[in-house]
Amino acid sequence: MKSAQHTGVIREYDLHAASVKAGYGVIIFLCCLTVMLAVFPLVWVILAGFKDLKEFVSSTRIIPESFSTEPFTTTWSQLGIAKNYLNSLISVAGSVACALIFNGLLGYGIGILKPRGYKVVKRLVMISLLMPATISIVPLFMNIQKFQMGNSFLPLWLSFGANAMYVILFEQFFESLPASIIEASRMDGCSQLQSFFHIVLPLSKPICAVISIFAINASWSDFLLPYLVLRGAEKQTVMVRLFVFSTEQTVNADAMMRSVVFAMIPPIILFFIFQKQLTENAVSVGIKG
Amino acid sequence: MSRQEKQIRTHAKLAGDIQSWMIMLPGLLLMTFFVWEPLFESIRMSLYKTRNVELVRFIGLDNFISVTGKDDFLQALQNTFSYTFWSLLIGFALPVLLAMLIGETTRGKGFFRTAVYLPNMLPGLAVIILWSAFFSGERSGVMNILLGKLGVLPQSYLTRAELVIPIIIVIATWKGAGATALIYMAGMSSISPELYEAAAIDGASVWRRILHILLPAIRKLAGTLLILQIISVFQIMYEPMVLTKGGPDNASLSLMQLMWQYAFGGAMNYGKASAVAVIVTLILLVMTAVYSYFNRKESDWD
Amino acid sequence: MSRMFKMVSLLLALCMLCGIPFVSAGAEEVIDADLTCTITLGNWPPDTAPQAEKDLFENYKAIMAKQYPNVTLVPDYYSYTLSNYVPMAKGGTAPSIFQPPFTDPQLLISQHLVGDVTDALEQFGVLDQFSPSYVEMLADENGRIYGLPRDGYVLGMHINIELFREAGLVDSDGLPIYPKTLQELAEYGQIIREKTGKAGLVFPASEAYGGWLFTNIAWNFGCVGENALEYQDEDGRWVCNFTSPECIAAMEYMRDLRWKYDILNADATTTDWAGAHSLLGTGEAAMNFAADDSVDQPTANKGLPVEDFALIPFPAGDAGRYALAGGTCYMFSPDITADQATALMAYLKILGKLPFLDDSIIAGMRADYAAKRDRGAPVIPAISAWNDAEYNAAKQAIVDEFSNVDMRLYADFFDSISEGTITLKSEEPVFAQQLYRELTAVVQRVITKEGADVEKALRKAEESFQEYLDDEINDY
Repeated sequence: MKSAQHTGVIREYDLHAASVKAGYGVIIFLCCLTVMLAVFPLVWVILAGFKDLKEFVSSTRIIPESFSTEPFTTTWSQLGIAKNYLNSLISVAGSVACALIFNGLLGYGIGILKPRGYKVVKRLVMISLLMPATISIVPLFMNIQKFQMGNSFLPLWLSFGANAMYVILFEQFFESLPASIIEASRMDGCSQLQSFFHIVLPLSKPICAVISIFAINASWSDFLLPYLVLRGAEKQTVMVRLFVFSTEQTVNADAMMRSVVFAMIPPIILFFIFQKQLTENAVSVGIKG
Repeated sequence: MSRQEKQIRTHAKLAGDIQSWMIMLPGLLLMTFFVWEPLFESIRMSLYKTRNVELVRFIGLDNFISVTGKDDFLQALQNTFSYTFWSLLIGFALPVLLAMLIGETTRGKGFFRTAVYLPNMLPGLAVIILWSAFFSGERSGVMNILLGKLGVLPQSYLTRAELVIPIIIVIATWKGAGATALIYMAGMSSISPELYEAAAIDGASVWRRILHILLPAIRKLAGTLLILQIISVFQIMYEPMVLTKGGPDNASLSLMQLMWQYAFGGAMNYGKASAVAVIVTLILLVMTAVYSYFNRKESDWD
Repeated sequence: MSRMFKMVSLLLALCMLCGIPFVSAGAEEVIDADLTCTITLGNWPPDTAPQAEKDLFENYKAIMAKQYPNVTLVPDYYSYTLSNYVPMAKGGTAPSIFQPPFTDPQLLISQHLVGDVTDALEQFGVLDQFSPSYVEMLADENGRIYGLPRDGYVLGMHINIELFREAGLVDSDGLPIYPKTLQELAEYGQIIREKTGKAGLVFPASEAYGGWLFTNIAWNFGCVGENALEYQDEDGRWVCNFTSPECIAAMEYMRDLRWKYDILNADATTTDWAGAHSLLGTGEAAMNFAADDSVDQPTANKGLPVEDFALIPFPAGDAGRYALAGGTCYMFSPDITADQATALMAYLKILGKLPFLDDSIIAGMRADYAAKRDRGAPVIPAISAWNDAEYNAAKQAIVDEFSNVDMRLYADFFDSISEGTITLKSEEPVFAQQLYRELTAVVQRVITKEGADVEKALRKAEESFQEYLDDEINDY
C-alpha cells in the first residue's frame, strides 16, 4: 500500500478545492484528538503508579512528585505476578486454538456444507448469541465439576470452542467465499475436511485474524469462569489475580493502580508486536470479504 | 436422469451429510456442554422454586411474577433501556465517524488505527478500575483535577443518579469504539476506489460521495453491528458492578446485575435469577425479531 | 467488613515468627494414631504469601502430623465468599474448613450447606466455653453447632486526631474532644468541615456496608425490642420493620448528615471499607465508623501515625447506646465425617483457636504484638469470643508488654464495654446481608437526593425485604 495516496472518499483531485483541503486539516486534527483521548488514561495510570497512597488520595497534580520505581517493584513482589503471566499465556494460547478450530468447523458446516437439518443448528447458534451467558454460569460450573475438569485450563480452552458469535462470523465469511473454488476442490477429490484445511482456511486468514483478536482479548480479560475453575494460586491468571487483589480489602488504591498497569502491559506488548497483522488483516479484507 | 443415477446421488448426498455432521460434531458437543445444556437448565430453573441449585418444586410463573412486581426490577428495566439509549447515542455513530476520519488520512493511518484500537485490548476489569479514579469525587479525582484547571470546583460524579449511566457508557465507548471503527474501516475498504473516482469525475461532491457510496456500502454491516451492540449493552453487568455497585440507590442497576444479585448477591435464588435472565432474553429476541422484520430483504438474520 | 483484615493482621504478624522455634514439648506427642482421614484446609497461605507465614502453616501441619500421624492435611487456598461457596458446597468441592463472617452462618445452616461439629467439640471439652451469643449464632434450632468463633470485634469509631487538632477539638492534654452522641457527631463534623475543608465523616454507603453501619445507628435511635428492624412474631414468622418512627428518624439523621450538616465524604455511595480507611488514614476524613480489630488499617496500612489515631465508642442516640459486635468464624463442609470433625478440631486447637494455652500459642501471640508494634499498628487488647478467664488474662498480659499507644485514646472504648455502659448487640438475626443491601439503597437515596421521601423509601425497602423473608423462611 502506498502510504501517501488518498484511498478514501476524498481523492487527490479534491484537494484542489480549498474547502476540502481545510476539511482535511480538520480530519487530521480530529484524529490526533482521538488518539490523545485514547492514550491519555493509559499514560495517567502509569503516572499514578508512581504515587504513594497519601499522594494518590490527596494530591491534585497529574505528575507524581517522584519517579522512583520502588512502588512498582514493591507491588510487583506483593502480587507475585510473573507466574500469573505464564498462566495467562497458556490460557490464551489454548483458547485461541479452540476458538479457531471448533467454531471454524461448525461455521464451515452451516456456512458451506449445509447438510440436511443444518438450519436447526444455525438457528440454535443464533439464539444462543442472544442468550446472556452469565446466567448459565452456575449450571456450567456444575457441568465442569461433573466432568472433573476443575482446576485445569481445559474447560477454559474448550469454552472458547463454543462461542456463538465466532461461529456466526465464520459462517458469514464462509458464505461470502466463491462457491466455485470449493466446488472445484471437491471435484479434485478432496474430502470435506481436506477442503476445509486446504482451501477454506487459507482463504480465511482475515476472519481467523479477527477471531484471534477477539479470542485473545476475551481470554486475557476473562476472570469470572477462570476464578471459579482455577482454584489456588498455582494456575491463577493475571486477571483472576487482579480480581482477587481488588477484593482483598487491605489493598491500597495506589497499589491497585500499579496492578492495573501490570494487567495492561502484556496485552499492550502483544498488540504492538502483532498490530500490523491485527489491524491490517481486519481492514484490508474485512468482515464480509 | 435414470432412477439408478438418482439413487446413487441420494446415497452420495446421504454419505456427504453424515460426513458433514461428523465435522460439526465437536463444535456441537462443545456448544451443548458450555451453552445449550446450561441454558436449558437455567430456563428450567426459572420455573421452579429453588434451594441453591436444587429444584424444590415446580411453581410455574411465580418467579416471574415475583420478580417483575418489584420496584428494583422496574428500575433495572428502565436503566437497561437507558443504557441502550445512551450507548446508541454516544457509541453507535462514533465508530462510523472514526472509521471515516481515519480512512481519509494518508500519512499515519496505521498509527491512528493502532492508537484507537489500543483501549480495546485492555482488560475490562482493569479499565473500570482505572476510570473509577477519573470519576472520583475527591479533589484528587482526575476529572476534578482537569476541570480544576478550568476553574471548576470539585464535583462528585458517581453519586449522581443522572450521570452514572452516561459515565459508564462513556467508559465502555472509550474501550470499544476504536475496535468497532476498525470493522467499519474493513467494510469501507471493500468499496472499490473506482466508484469514488467515477463519482468524482461526474462532479459529485465529497458529501454526496459519502451519502451515496460510502454509507449505503456499510448499511448492512451497520445493521449487524447495531443489533450486536444492543445485545451486548443489554447484558451490561460488570461495569456498574465494579464502578458504582449499581448505585446510587439502584440508579445504575442493570437487569443482568439484578440477576447476578439474585444468584450470587446473598439471596442465592437461582430460580428468580434465571427468571430475570429469561426476561432479558425474551426482550432481546423481540427486538431482534422487530429488527429482522424491518430488514427482511437485506438481513440474513432470519 | 471485618473478615479480611483480621486475617491479614494475623498473617503479617506471623511473619515475625520466622526462625522462632515454637514447637513446644507437648506438641511432639502422638495424641491419636488411630484417627485416619483427610481434611482440606481453606485459607492456606498461597505461594505468594510471605515465607514466614508459609513456614508457620507448614509448622502447624508438622505438629498435626506428629499428633495425628494418620490424618492427611490438604492445603487449599480457598477464601470464602457466599457466592463462591454455594456452588462448591453443592458440587462437593468445598474445603473441609473455611472462614465466613458472622452474618452468614445462619443462612448456611438453614440451607444445609455446612457440617455439624457438636460431638467433636464435646470430645475436646470446650462446648461450654462459648459465649452464649456465639452459640446462638453458630447453632441450629436443635442446638447443634456448625461453627467456631475465630475472633470478634465491636464497632466504634476511628478518629484522625490531626484533623481534630486542626479544628480545635482537643483538650489541654492534647486528647481529642470527641462526639459522645450522634448529634454531637454531626456538629463536630461540621466544625471539622469548616475549619479544615475535609470530610467530617466518611460513610462507606456501598453494597452491604452502608446498611450494616446504619443498623447500629438505627438501634441507637430505638430500633430495638418491639421496634426491632427484624423480629419473629407469635406465629414464628420473620417480620421486618423499617417504618417505625425510630427508623425513620434514624434515616432522617442520615439525610441531615449530607444535606443539613454536609459532613460526608464526596463519594459515599461508592466508598467501600478499604476506601473509608484510606480517607481517614490519609487525612481526608476525620471520623469513620469502624471496629477495634481494624485499627491497623488507617495506621500501619494507610500511613496515619499511631499517636494521631484514637478509637472511641459508638456515639449514643436519643434512645440507646448500642455497639454492633461480630466477627469471623470457622465453618466446615457439609459432608464431613465424625473423624474429619475430630481432626478439624485438633487442627484448630493447634492454631490456638480453642481456648487452650500452650507455649507455642503464647509465643505466637507475643510475635503477633511485636510485629504490630514494629510496623506501626496499635497494640491493643482483643475482644475474646471465649468465656475463659485464664485464656483472656494471658492475652492481656502480653498486650501490656508490647503496648505502643497512649491507652487513654482507647480507654473509653474498652471501658464502655467492660463497664457495660454500652450494650453489645450482634447483627440482625436472619439474612443480615440482604437486609443491609436493602437499607444501603435507602441510605444512598437519602444522601444523593435532597428531597427524597424517607418514609416512602423505607417502606419500599421493607416490602422488598419482607418478600425476601417470606420466600426464604416464612413460606419455605
